[in-house]
Amino acid sequence: MKTKFLKQHLYIIAGLLLLGACKPEINTPKPSRGSADFSRFIAVGNSLTAGYADGGLYLAGQQVSFPNLIANQMKLVGGGPFSQPLFSADQANGSGYLSLAGFNADGTPIIKQVTTNLAIRGVITIPGFGNATLYTKYTGEINNYGVPGIKLQQILYAPYGNLNGYFERMLPGNSPTNATTYLDFVTAKPFTFFSSWLGDNDALSYATSGGAGDVLTDKTQFNQLYQALIARLTAGGQKGVVATVPDVTSIPYFNTVTVGAIVAGVQKANPAVTGIYINALTSASTSGTYAPRIATAKDLILLSFSTSKIGQPVTTQLGPLPYGLTPLTPIDSQYVLDQNEVTLTEDYVSSYNQTIKSVAVKYGLAVFDAFAYLNQIKAQGIAVNGVNLTSNYISGGLFSLDGVHLTPQGYAFISNGIIGVINAKYGSSIPFVNVANYTGIKFP
Amino acid sequence: MRKLVLIICLFSPILALAQGFQVNLGGQQQIGMGHTGTGLLQDGASVFFNPGAVAMLSENYVQAGVSPLLFKSDFNPLNTSTQYHTADKVAYPFNAYVVWGPKASFWKIGLGVYTPFGGLTDWGNTWQGKYVLESLDLKAIYFQPTLSIKLTDYLSIGGGFVYNHGSVDLKQALPLSDASGQQTGQAELKGSGKGYGWNAGVYFKTESGVSVGITHRSQVTTTISDGNALFTVPGSLQSSFPQPNTFNATIPLPATNSIGFGFYPTKKWTLALDVNVVGWSVYKALAFDYKSNTPSLQDSYFPRNYKDAVVLRGGAQYKSSNNLSLRFGGGYASTAVNDGYVTPEAPDANRFYVTGGIGYRLGQHLNVDASFEYEHLMARTQTNSQSQLAGTFETNVYIPGLSLSYHW
Repeated sequence: MKTKFLKQHLYIIAGLLLLGACKPEINTPKPSRGSADFSRFIAVGNSLTAGYADGGLYLAGQQVSFPNLIANQMKLVGGGPFSQPLFSADQANGSGYLSLAGFNADGTPIIKQVTTNLAIRGVITIPGFGNATLYTKYTGEINNYGVPGIKLQQILYAPYGNLNGYFERMLPGNSPTNATTYLDFVTAKPFTFFSSWLGDNDALSYATSGGAGDVLTDKTQFNQLYQALIARLTAGGQKGVVATVPDVTSIPYFNTVTVGAIVAGVQKANPAVTGIYINALTSASTSGTYAPRIATAKDLILLSFSTSKIGQPVTTQLGPLPYGLTPLTPIDSQYVLDQNEVTLTEDYVSSYNQTIKSVAVKYGLAVFDAFAYLNQIKAQGIAVNGVNLTSNYISGGLFSLDGVHLTPQGYAFISNGIIGVINAKYGSSIPFVNVANYTGIKFP
Repeated sequence: MRKLVLIICLFSPILALAQGFQVNLGGQQQIGMGHTGTGLLQDGASVFFNPGAVAMLSENYVQAGVSPLLFKSDFNPLNTSTQYHTADKVAYPFNAYVVWGPKASFWKIGLGVYTPFGGLTDWGNTWQGKYVLESLDLKAIYFQPTLSIKLTDYLSIGGGFVYNHGSVDLKQALPLSDASGQQTGQAELKGSGKGYGWNAGVYFKTESGVSVGITHRSQVTTTISDGNALFTVPGSLQSSFPQPNTFNATIPLPATNSIGFGFYPTKKWTLALDVNVVGWSVYKALAFDYKSNTPSLQDSYFPRNYKDAVVLRGGAQYKSSNNLSLRFGGGYASTAVNDGYVTPEAPDANRFYVTGGIGYRLGQHLNVDASFEYEHLMARTQTNSQSQLAGTFETNVYIPGLSLSYHW
């Protein structure tokens, strides 16, 4: 009786141990591809798709491009191999890029350009266009067709493969002999799923040049080209995900150097100064004219502006006058996205996004609303795995040193946003990326 | 094969903590009986379970026990099939008691040294929640001198003073990468402190033969002063994280109110029932106040907002001979942690546990008691409202225990 009881008791303990094994294991459903087929996934887009960061395209950035991160996760639900036009290890620094060298005593960053181990093969002058930097050719499979700088407006432009070195390096021919359009090139081989994040540069190139160096793509043309793009990408019944164009003002490139900070800096040396002058668009219209006026908080100074220019003598008809401090010596338009330019850009972006969303609905595609996503982060930041990500320059963790493109952490974060909408649309369960594995800004 | 699994479980290293951080391993006899004992007279562990019962003990005791604690937690991040397990580390909650009084006197004095709270959780520096927590080693050692007085043959009371020596060592990754892209940033908060409290109990035997105990163990607010705040950051950020730096923190270890009953249906059987109400609602936040602050290094405040928890315990002892006692029991504890506040340092959830134990009399004055406890914390899927760390935690706890007691 005694031993029997003892035995039973031990069996109970042993049984419980077996039941729980040694460590707990949470049962997770097997990831599924849902109604989508990820066997050949291609990524169509611009610098954001290519993995561009820190003002350049380089190997380490390519490796954490969002399409590559997503493709790695797709492999868990039947996705196929995913090839990128990577720079070689010898030329890992690609185009060159910005790196953080430290901080000045006032807390401003010291940023240097990486100029070693580049993949630059030469510069060619194209008549009627200008100079194009050419990079070491890539030959091999391509799934990631991200071309930094490309606009939607250029996807059917046959000579484009001669003008953009990032596109040229994917093509077999050398500039200026190429005549394959971007859309023909990316759709040449069969594919089953695509991501398309095009259209940003149609507004961003205008905005980052302060409205001075480029023009906004016409809204009607944008609509026609987007219809053509998606019609072609879905011609074989392919499914995919498209992304909207972010609000250009949601990125640190436009929010880091502020009018208020510049004025405050000037007032330290000269308390009499009450404001700075900019050369501003007089109406929110593409046909508007420019005139100098006092800047307000609604005018966005670009990250490319060096505040040390302020107050430097400029020769004028009235003799030398301090830069930025008089109506005759306003800050150049290329450094300012003034209030009317902001309004104009936002109007175009809004129109582009209406096009993107309506075309996506028409073709039954998943939509990653980058516009809403980044605006929400700009407004309130977001916590991810215990890390607070914001749109602040350098400290925010999301945007790289160029203030436009993302850090590895930022791309990983965006990847999950995109995986989320794919899963929701197609009933798949592509596992999410572990954002905590990816770095923000690299500090020396 | 079964035996092999059992051995692996017992000796593979471990991890500690229980309901919140409450460990509740007051004595091996009582663990065997489902961790009941408020309404019983088992041995010197009454100092912990009910200081009011100490004067009723028929003998004097010197005893000590240890309960190596194996805490195995698993985390599955939301929308993934990845699993992260806590590292194998062992915590050693212990208990030691001395109880003495003149034979047949109306009073006894006692001293207890035990570890009612603690946690040893090591998730490592590569898991998804590393920016929330890498590891936590939290210890509280209570020293409790006790006096108990028998008022009548049926009623005794007692109370004690509690001094707590507490220590904490918390590691957390910082989201800062060095120039080569290595995620080297880390914060470590390491310090010790103290706190004071008291406890009191009453014990009585009813005419029906049922014994009853009621106790209150007070909150012990433990303050850590001038702990070391160590930050490993890239060189260019060093000035933002000044070194050396120190921190202050206060952790309220909650009060516990208990009522317990003992039933004695035959000479061989003892049945026990305990109910604990743990005042976890005092644990509002884990806050660290740094001596040197910078714009990058602000005092940190992590809301916890725990709620009071209830534990139901039942157990039995079968004295199969003068020398051998067999014990078993179990219980259920409601979680102290509200939805949205579950954290990896104590991935709490509602839990059940079962226990077993054997007591053997080695000689007229010497007893050895072995116990085993298995706890299971139910799978709990949560998104932390502050860190947004989202996923499912599930935990198993294995606690073997052994004690020796000398009594006369």
